[in-house]
Amino acid sequence: MIVKQAKSVEDALELLSHYGNCKIIAGGTDIIIQMNEKKVQPKVLIDISKVEELKKIEEDGDFIKIGSAVTYTDIIESSIFEGNLSGFKKACRLVGSPQIRNRGTIGGNIVNASPAADSVPPLIALGATIILESKNNIREVKVEDYFSHSETFGIREYEILTAIRFRKPKGVLTFAKLGLRKALAISRISIAALVELDKDNKVSFVRIASGSIGRYPMREHELEEFLQGKVFDDAVIDEAVKVLQGVMDVRLANRSSLPYKRRAVEAVLKEALGEVRK
Amino acid sequence: MINIKLNVNGKDYSLEIEEDKRLIDVLREDLRFTGVKEGCSEGECGACSVIMDGRIVNSCLVMAVQANGSSIVTVEGLVKDGELDPVQRAFIEKGATQCGYCTPGFIMAARAFLNRAKDPTREEIREAISGNLCRCTGYNKIVDAIEEAYRYEKGI
Ligand SMILES: Cc1cc2nc3c(=O)[nH]c(=O)nc-3n(C[C@H](O)[C@H](O)[C@H](O)COP(=O)(O)OP(=O)(O)OC[C@H]3O[C@@H](n4cnc5c(N)ncnc54)[C@H](O)[C@@H]3O)c2cc1C
Ligand code: FES
Ligand code: FES
Repeated sequence: MIVKQAKSVEDALELLSHYGNCKIIAGGTDIIIQMNEKKVQPKVLIDISKVEELKKIEEDGDFIKIGSAVTYTDIIESSIFEGNLSGFKKACRLVGSPQIRNRGTIGGNIVNASPAADSVPPLIALGATIILESKNNIREVKVEDYFSHSETFGIREYEILTAIRFRKPKGVLTFAKLGLRKALAISRISIAALVELDKDNKVSFVRIASGSIGRYPMREHELEEFLQGKVFDDAVIDEAVKVLQGVMDVRLANRSSLPYKRRAVEAVLKEALGEVRK
Repeated sequence: MINIKLNVNGKDYSLEIEEDKRLIDVLREDLRFTGVKEGCSEGECGACSVIMDGRIVNSCLVMAVQANGSSIVTVEGLVKDGELDPVQRAFIEKGATQCGYCTPGFIMAARAFLNRAKDPTREEIREAISGNLCRCTGYNKIVDAIEEAYRYEKGI
């Protein structure tokens, strides 16, 4: 195996098109383990962890753009994710350990595509898109579609995820996951919610995404439809838990994990929705 | 083989290495900084922790080529003019080490944390060492030692 340090995105794309059986390495916190286990055996590794243009977090008018090699620590220390966006920081703070947060990247989290990828539900709730670049092409794909329709919208061999982009929301983004105290537990269930309330405390906009309640992180449409237009009080949150449990009964039917996840989701959803009001 | 440049414990090195080596392999095998320990090889135990460009990382999860141009501090780099680092002194005084295998990793995690900490709570200290495992001490003495090291440094 050879390892190449890319100097720029252009350089990385050139290397990618030049060699066969290539893999990108960013923080390495997933791929080095997969190489040890011989699950992936690339001939060439292209390191993007020192490509400056991929390490920026930028505000661009109404949009926020996160470079794919931005780490969890970068997000936690960024002044951009305050106030109504602090739910994203919370998701990043709950990842792994300091060592993992210092190396692990948002881009790596998305491309590795674990059902429990913690940065993904908040990005889906934000309606974020990702930018996939190859030598001759550039596409922008919704994070949600990247997971739900990966045959069409998934990353291809010769592409690099360069950035994640979303419009600054009016509502409040919140996040909750199970197992807060055991810092290293890769979360089994997580919920991210983006909720906007009108002056009568009614839900005027809502987008909710879950992690590990299915084969991949996904939108929870039924839950959104239930909440839309409702007065946002404790009774509605209790009802919302039942709606989501109903969805799980169908989605996870016959899975041994269902009884456990059904109970666990109650606390997770209540925490996520409860934080909207704080 | 590939050439990489590293600064380790304040000294510059230019090394010819095999490209599939991880940072831990170069530190231990090529440079003989054997205070860097290998436990799990998968980011769970923290025994291989070193400070890379000011941040604590697992050296088993960094390819050596990725560290090209970086500054690394291992436990060997903490002693200054024959004096132990306050973290090392506190670990000894508080009895925060038993078999010792985890100790260099904990000391580096504590060092990286204290470099940025302000009046740390025990909760924050526990979070700072959440990527390090110890099978002997039960952690309380390690947290005591890190609190003590903070006091030494602040002269309180
Ligand atoms: C001990 C431990 C604890 C962990 N805890 C958590 C946790 O709590 N929550 C969580 O979500 N994850 C966790 N992880 C998983 C991992 O740290 C994250 O998924 C991380 O974000 C991966 O990013 P990376 O930069 O390290 O990816 P890498 O390992 O560098 O790459 C992962 C994959 O993505 C590809 N890739 C990376 N960047 C790009 C890019 N820009 N373009 C194209 N392809 C790319 C690589 O080719 C590879 O296939 C944990 C891992 C460990 C070892
Ligand atoms: S050996 Fe690196 S974390 Fe265990
Ligand atoms: S002192 Fe033995 S593992 Fe920590």
